[in-house]
Amino acid sequence: MIGLEGNPTTLDPRVARDAYSTRILPLLFHSLVQVDANAEVIPDLAQSWEQPEPLTVIFHLRAGPRFSDGREVRARDVVYTLQSLADPELRSARQALAQRLQEVTALDPRTVRLQLREPYAPLFTELVFGIVPEADARRLGKEFGRRPIGSGPYRLRSWEQGGEIVLEPNPFCAGPAPKISRLVFRVLPDDVTRVMALERGEVQLLLNSVPPDDLPVLEQNPRLQIRSQPGTNYTYLGFNLEDPILKRREVREAIAHAIPRQELADCFFRGQAQLATGLLAPGHWAYEREAETYDYNPARAQELLDRAGFPRPAEGAPRFHLLYKTSQNKLRRRMVEAIAYALGEVGIEVAVRSLEWGTLFADIQAGNFQLYSLDWVGVTEPDIYYTAFHSKSIPPAGANRGRYRNPEVDRLTEAGRKTFDPAERRAIYGRVQKILALDLPYVSLFYSTDTVVSDRRLQGFQLFPEGDYRSLAQADWSSE
Amino acid sequence: MRLYLLKRLLLTLPVLIGASVLVFLFIHLIPGDPVEVMLGESASAADRAALRHQLHLDEPLSVQFGLFFSGLATGKLESIFYHEPVSRKVFARLGATFELALAAMALACLFAIPLGIVAALRRGRWADSLSTGFALLGVSIPNFWLGPMLILVFSLKLEWLPVSGRGGLFHLALPALTLGLAMAALLSRMTRASLLEALSEPHLTAARARGLSEPRVILKHALRNAGVPILTIIGLQFGALLSGAIITETIFAWPGLGRLLIEAIQTRDFPLVQGSVLAIALTYVMVNLITDLLYTAVDPRVRLEGRA
Repeated sequence: MIGLEGNPTTLDPRVARDAYSTRILPLLFHSLVQVDANAEVIPDLAQSWEQPEPLTVIFHLRAGPRFSDGREVRARDVVYTLQSLADPELRSARQALAQRLQEVTALDPRTVRLQLREPYAPLFTELVFGIVPEADARRLGKEFGRRPIGSGPYRLRSWEQGGEIVLEPNPFCAGPAPKISRLVFRVLPDDVTRVMALERGEVQLLLNSVPPDDLPVLEQNPRLQIRSQPGTNYTYLGFNLEDPILKRREVREAIAHAIPRQELADCFFRGQAQLATGLLAPGHWAYEREAETYDYNPARAQELLDRAGFPRPAEGAPRFHLLYKTSQNKLRRRMVEAIAYALGEVGIEVAVRSLEWGTLFADIQAGNFQLYSLDWVGVTEPDIYYTAFHSKSIPPAGANRGRYRNPEVDRLTEAGRKTFDPAERRAIYGRVQKILALDLPYVSLFYSTDTVVSDRRLQGFQLFPEGDYRSLAQADWSSE
Repeated sequence: MRLYLLKRLLLTLPVLIGASVLVFLFIHLIPGDPVEVMLGESASAADRAALRHQLHLDEPLSVQFGLFFSGLATGKLESIFYHEPVSRKVFARLGATFELALAAMALACLFAIPLGIVAALRRGRWADSLSTGFALLGVSIPNFWLGPMLILVFSLKLEWLPVSGRGGLFHLALPALTLGLAMAALLSRMTRASLLEALSEPHLTAARARGLSEPRVILKHALRNAGVPILTIIGLQFGALLSGAIITETIFAWPGLGRLLIEAIQTRDFPLVQGSVLAIALTYVMVNLITDLLYTAVDPRVRLEGRA
């Protein structure tokens, strides 16, 4: 049994957006392609692909994969899956991908041709989602998300809404059959209950869902094992660059120097976080090592604030006031309060406002903030820089929430989208990372470590950058 | 009786409409956009506009409200997120909440009514003090503390009961106990107070003078007279249990209506929020109606026709 923090909304891979659904889906569905631990694209249903010209990609499907109803995965299923994304009734979050495709054609039962409207390098990472069987998806319509049929190693046995999702091996799965005959995902929204269910042995696996404070206790439990590896989830402090104080670079640099990040990581994450340098984690193929970083240096912070025209008034009064918005997540709120305290030490008085998620997100989208903290989860595609920093990505058209504008970054992120050559892309995104490290639209805080706490007898479960459960298909119970 | 029932049923309509209007206004007043949550930040302006149009979110509030009611009347109200009829989502979860509330109420009644009787009969003695202490604890201990403590003791230390989930009676025990404790506390005090009042009635002295045994005097005469206020509290508290089980459902991973409502609010699934609140309001009103009907069984002097 595996504990989930929240309720999956749908098991239709074309529609699912929430973390709980997307983590389970790789067990039920194969994608055309996958990404490995370094975010590089690797084969999945497609055993190979070619790109005879920038706007054409031809995928060759491997023989063997079958959906859980016994039907073979054919090129027309891929065509249907991609074409159906554009259906407004489906309400897919991948509609944008469908609009980039001019034509999707099945050349033969195992060959699919994608014709792009314009060069779009993130295509491959955006194709990492499950292929659905055309006949069943058409027949089931909206019901498909409740009764999914995929070619993955497992198939859905039952789903009690808000309760348990039960999977069993897909009898038609190509390749070695899963060794665990029944996987049960139980929604356990409360942190304390989740951890106690693990201690009791009711749940055998928790992935990235144990509060760091509980890890030392679980380490003492001889029945459990804890494994960690550097993760890709990126926590940052965002600035509103239209704010008259925060639009000054010296102020942003001063804030970066005033935050004792290592101390915060040790205190709140108990070793389960690494200091971040930018959106892409060090293991990523496009990671830039030479980008500027900012050490904890409160003296330097004070000097920068003085120079920016915000000298410390006499009698201990603050230089200026800022409002820092965050979610109601307990750990996040404590972290933000500690940052507010650290900023107070250099003369910046920060009021923390902890908001319900929907309200917080609406405020951030509307630019109604000065400082905020959020995470980017499972960062694999460097085109995220376009979404987060291009001037055309200012909400609601994207995620440039701080209203950052830099023509050079605009130019580079556009070029990064249109270039398929990996070396050229690496150079482009390396440059983007250096510019952003200097401009400081974000203060990079942490990469949270991926942590799995499991029953010691569970062997073979590996962690993937997206934090999904796909390797449960290779896991087994040891006899010890 | 029929006339009374008809009047009461008709009176539920303004209550339900009022609840719907309030929920509709409040959910639209708070910031947040379901389109944003569904399509994400990479969606184009055209896609957002298309979905907004499809969900009628670009219509004036009055039109949206009319659509909500017509959807409700025709049974076509659909959850934005789950792509399912709201009624199906709500009924799937209402059963779990009802099961939990019934179990909590049964536990509370089984424990609190005898305790209240003993406290009334032993007024001022140690049993009464014990009952008072229990009531004080019951109303003071919050669910979010009691739930994990019960899990710690009964699941982790003693290993008697499961930590979470919905299954048989064993799964039901701890959430029902958590939810039922505060009700038991209130009910025991109400039983004690009502029984004390009933015991002081002159007709009980007459009953004793007629030679009736003490247990018969208490159970048949005093307790029956004390029954109406106890029933009122049970009815009111049962309604509160249905709507107030959110924390308990979250702690014990109980797949009930409370958790569905929280999820719907977080994702700004407007129809699902409205449907869930309406279901809770309807249940509350119905429980109150049933309570009123039960008054006649407990006390024949109550004439429902005259009360409407």
